[in-house]
Amino acid sequence: MKPSVASLYQAVELQQEIPPLLIGERANANGSKKFRELLLADDYQACVKVALEQEARGAHVIDLCTAYAGRDELADLTTLVRLCAGALKAPLMIDSTTPACIEACLRLYPGRAIVNSINLEDGGVNIRRICRAAKKYGAAVVALTIDEKGMAMTAAEKVRIARAIHAIAVDEYGLRSRDLLFDCLTFTVGSGDANLRDAAVQTLEAIRRIKAELPGCLTVLGVSNISFGLAPQARRILNSVFLHEAVAAGLDAAIVDAAKIVPLARIPAEDREVCLDLLYNRQGEEVKDPLMRFIAHFSDKAATPAEDGQEGDSKPEEQLFQMVMDGDKEQLEDVLAILRQRFRPIDIINQILVPAMRHVGELFGKGEILLPFVLQSAEVMKASVTLLEPFMDKAEGTAATTVLLATVQGDVHDIGKNLVDIILSNNGYLVHNIGIKVPAETIIEKAREVRADLIGLSGLLVKSAIIMQESMAQYREAGLTVPILLGGAALTPKFVAESCVPQYDAPVVYCADAFAGLKAVQEFEAGTLTATVYDGATAVKAMKPGIRVAEIDRTNPVPVPPFLGQRYVEDIDPAVLFSLINVEALFRGRWGYRRGKMGAGEYADLIEGTVRPLYEELQRKALAGGWIQPRVSYGYFPCRAEGDAVIVQADGAEHRFSFPRQAEAPFLCIADYFKTAGEGGDIAGFFVVTIGPKMSEETARLYQADAYHEYLLLHGFSVEVTDALAEYWHGVMRREMGVGGTQAQNALGAVTQNYQGSRYGFGYPACPDLEAHKPLFAFLKPEAIGITLTENMQMVPEQTTSAIVAHHPQAKYFAV
Amino acid sequence: MTPAKERYICANCGYIYDPAVGDPMNAIPPGVEFAELPDEWVCPMCYATKEQFDPLD
Repeated sequence: MKPSVASLYQAVELQQEIPPLLIGERANANGSKKFRELLLADDYQACVKVALEQEARGAHVIDLCTAYAGRDELADLTTLVRLCAGALKAPLMIDSTTPACIEACLRLYPGRAIVNSINLEDGGVNIRRICRAAKKYGAAVVALTIDEKGMAMTAAEKVRIARAIHAIAVDEYGLRSRDLLFDCLTFTVGSGDANLRDAAVQTLEAIRRIKAELPGCLTVLGVSNISFGLAPQARRILNSVFLHEAVAAGLDAAIVDAAKIVPLARIPAEDREVCLDLLYNRQGEEVKDPLMRFIAHFSDKAATPAEDGQEGDSKPEEQLFQMVMDGDKEQLEDVLAILRQRFRPIDIINQILVPAMRHVGELFGKGEILLPFVLQSAEVMKASVTLLEPFMDKAEGTAATTVLLATVQGDVHDIGKNLVDIILSNNGYLVHNIGIKVPAETIIEKAREVRADLIGLSGLLVKSAIIMQESMAQYREAGLTVPILLGGAALTPKFVAESCVPQYDAPVVYCADAFAGLKAVQEFEAGTLTATVYDGATAVKAMKPGIRVAEIDRTNPVPVPPFLGQRYVEDIDPAVLFSLINVEALFRGRWGYRRGKMGAGEYADLIEGTVRPLYEELQRKALAGGWIQPRVSYGYFPCRAEGDAVIVQADGAEHRFSFPRQAEAPFLCIADYFKTAGEGGDIAGFFVVTIGPKMSEETARLYQADAYHEYLLLHGFSVEVTDALAEYWHGVMRREMGVGGTQAQNALGAVTQNYQGSRYGFGYPACPDLEAHKPLFAFLKPEAIGITLTENMQMVPEQTTSAIVAHHPQAKYFAV
Repeated sequence: MTPAKERYICANCGYIYDPAVGDPMNAIPPGVEFAELPDEWVCPMCYATKEQFDPLD
């Protein structure tokens, strides 16, 4: 079998039929400014894109180097190796001189990688550790001809060091000759240094000798080093000629920018001669010095930008369409600049960008792409429009259908509304997003002011649905005649059709998600938009899951809490919450990375290669940025059940919590889990937990910056961290009360409530009414930890949650 | 088509429907494939509808 390396997807022979094996060199923090800047910005996705581009341009193997002063090389490199392992077909070359980094990467890389590199600089310490790892994980290794004296300059020295390395790697550590790729490290012939005039000759000779004297071994070379110090255009030609010569000498692999290699046939004969003269240090007749001749020859050849054929063969309009599809913002300015020479900005938007977004929306509708990718496409659209706007007349674009968006009075949730904004505005509609907690009066006023063609109202809570219903008559009386779109978790088609539609004269339309909103706006334009109808006969009535046994044990012991009354806790380490984060709900639900039609393997690759690294990155950023500030107000209070209410004694007063009861069997009610006065009374726990206001600030910042994808990710993350804090604190309270003493071991344990007792969140299915916040705030006093209530009893910051804690063994989740 | 005994996960809360176990909370006996669950079936933990379920692995 021929020596080869492999990625997760394919094996690649190290000795290509048409040599050399091309190793992409751009994903290198030291060698590429662009890559370095992306890395410094923690933009791992863009770093992966740099690797992908090289693959697209013909690289067989991708070199990956993240070593850069001030960065955590181990974290960067392992993150990128994991990402690249899933994303790249090409095998990786792990470029590091730190043994710990190499070991970590080899451990997690799912194919056969190449390690770059070993040498004898330290007299033989690191090489042994790396060879051991390479043997263990079956990697190939690049060996540099460097020893304690530095880089070998002559062929004899290069070969001597290669032999010494071979002795260690093969004789001591059992690597095979074919596992080694010797890099003879050429010096430049472009410096004018007299000692380096024969640098190319020495390198070519060393390649020839290594191939002959160490049979089976391979050779590799960073080709572009030969031309350091010369003009860019001249370098490309010289590099290409040198590569050709090196391959002729036996070179197996080249570390190059594959796109910058010019086929020898396309280099004019006289250019080639000048290069060969320089490489072989041949004296000329008129101008003796080959370097002088080389510089003079190329000085009158201006760089020809057409040579920079990175666009491939596709036309710029196709390219832009594809960039929207791929969520690819790189080179956006260049492509738009080219297009602007031929098209008006408005035509670029209407003829290319909007159709691309429509296509993305259609694919989403068919379940072929996921929401996060739609948002990345929208980012490209948005960035394009921003770049085009300076070239547009004011009047252009005002003909677009205008939509007014708001989250209704008392409701602080804006992710749903903002997703609608993102989708509509990036499909060419003019959106006026007037924020959260907007009273009906303001909505009426703004709708007139901006001449809205449609109004979209959003709200998460049950209370918000009621507000929507109540305001319909107000809109009618104000004389509004434009359609109203309604969206929100508490809404149902039935509620909209029966409670909202009749109160207003124009169509009122239920929209399940942002794309339903888009569809409604498109129907409006087509003149086919109609109000939501609900047919009770054909509608599906949801089941009511729950415990079927209605008998609730009245004899369970009442636990003794460690204290009575209220306490604050502010010294919780945010990192302890991560193990309780419900990653499935986060990835699939909040983020929309659902498996859907994907194969199991493809989905696993998506999760491990893309999603989990994003998640780990968010954890790191959240900790480093201090975005998670867990604070708790909680307590244990004497209480008694009275019918459907629990009467709580706190601060010398009685507070009544009235709970709803199921309307059908088994007629559960939270109050049933507490003892009556006659039964001796009981103890109720309560908590309000928050992760503080920083997450809201960060998410708002991302939204403002049109970083839609990150916005979705961080918002979902913040919601799940908040829930993890509630789960964590519930565990603390169970422990303090000594009930079962079990902490949910992980998020899954928490989902299935494999512990004694239950926490019932206010605003959730067992207790949807937020009015309970009134008595709760009276004695938990969470204002002191920065939590306030809106006029309809929602807590601010958004990343806050509250609950009553029941210790009864039969207490489990249910819905009224 | 869907292979037999495929488990589904609730994208909202993470609950896993395992046909080998069924769903006692909704009176679903063991042996019922996810696809065979009635349309009105909801997640026993968070009441999410069937569309919000995703094939697990």
